Amino acid sequence: MMEFEGEFTSNHSREELWNYFTDPDILTACAPGCDEIVMESPSELAAVISVGVGSVKPTFDVDMVVTQADEPETLRMEVGGNATRNSFDAVAEMNLHSNGDDTTTAHWSAQTNVSGLIASMGQRALGSVSTRLVNNFFEDLEAKADEGVSAESQLQAKEGAEASIDD
Amino acid sequence: MKPAPFQYHRPTTIEETTTLLETHRHDAELMAGNQSLGIIMANRLATPNHIIDINDLEEIEYIDVTESSVEIGSLVRHRTIENSAELKATLPLFPQAAEQIAGPSVRNRGTLGGSIGEADPAGNYPTVLTALDGDLHVTSVDGSRTVPATEYFIAYMFTDLGEDELITGVSIGRDPFPADRTGMAFLEQKAAAQTWPTISAATAIRVDNPKASEPVVEEARVALANAADIPLRVTEAEASIQGEPLTDESLSAAAGAAIDAAQPEGEMHADAEYKRELAGEYTRRSLETSYERATTTQTDQ
Repeated sequence: MMEFEGEFTSNHSREELWNYFTDPDILTACAPGCDEIVMESPSELAAVISVGVGSVKPTFDVDMVVTQADEPETLRMEVGGNATRNSFDAVAEMNLHSNGDDTTTAHWSAQTNVSGLIASMGQRALGSVSTRLVNNFFEDLEAKADEGVSAESQLQAKEGAEASIDD
Repeated sequence: MKPAPFQYHRPTTIEETTTLLETHRHDAELMAGNQSLGIIMANRLATPNHIIDINDLEEIEYIDVTESSVEIGSLVRHRTIENSAELKATLPLFPQAAEQIAGPSVRNRGTLGGSIGEADPAGNYPTVLTALDGDLHVTSVDGSRTVPATEYFIAYMFTDLGEDELITGVSIGRDPFPADRTGMAFLEQKAAAQTWPTISAATAIRVDNPKASEPVVEEARVALANAADIPLRVTEAEASIQGEPLTDESLSAAAGAAIDAAQPEGEMHADAEYKRELAGEYTRRSLETSYERATTTQTDQ
């Protein structure tokens, strides 16, 4: 199992940011390598995402289930992805902390099991790239918020769902 | 193994190439010397549906040395850089780095742009560009832009290059490196001649007066390959030798700074601690060599 984490500070309130993090259209525009996101229910998303390291960039069919959505604080989801000869399972969580001065710090973490060819790149390579991709995602999302692009919260937690990952 | 099927394109102009990139985006890979892509495609780690062979793009195969800058096109082969008398006379770090890449067959085909595009943190040119503060020139259907090497390398094999962009070349300002009082050295530690280095150090030193009894280091550059997830510029090492003649003490301080800055990944034959030690030792040796070259006759470089 690989673990990644990081944080990002935004100049927007967490109430405002929450709408951006839970709007599938914003997520589609900001998620790295994302071709499309289909909202299958308020708790379930399906996406096609092409990401990788160097020229190794499998295209994953990704399913996401929102397991916790405590507005405007905690968003937790279970994510699974499949590509030719590659797959991953992950639990990702984000916590928004208000800094008391209209800025917000987002702490994010993910535990993931990667298998297949991309697993052979190792934690160092995947960690280096994942952290950068997540930062890009936050920067793009922050830019949308700065521009005042409208965002509508559409996600909610699936009832009785619990995110877990096998060791 | 054999690669998965792909469609082969052979454009003859930059415009044709960028149009193909714009059309196929992440489904396409550029191919020049094909010294890395071919291997990962044969192993089916990469399975692009489109290969854009840029070997006919003569417009990006140039070495231009002017009063103020050195410009190298991305399709220039390692072998050409290794043998370039103009580069040996102006920025010898390039030919020194080129002549140590893998073996002769790789050097005959591999290109500058391929190495920079691959952005392996152990790669030679990425480290040279970082040491010399070079700029990369990239172009797409939307136009051209210039990216400083320090901003281009972002994470392990992850760069600022867009999937619709082509690297056309690099340029390095000559101003900080007057040939008559600059020395450069590219030193690699590797387990065998044709493999990737465990650690490399690219350094440059400019002195105030090579004929003085104790020439003062006016400017120093230190960059390390394979010591982090991107080419690692060690400004603390540079600062510790600038402003005074090179001494054992200042060299030790520079080596210590390199050890502190290095964040290497352990490898099968070299754990992280050993690689940190090497980072210090190769910084020391490379700076010492650069200083010797800066303070002696320039014709041997």
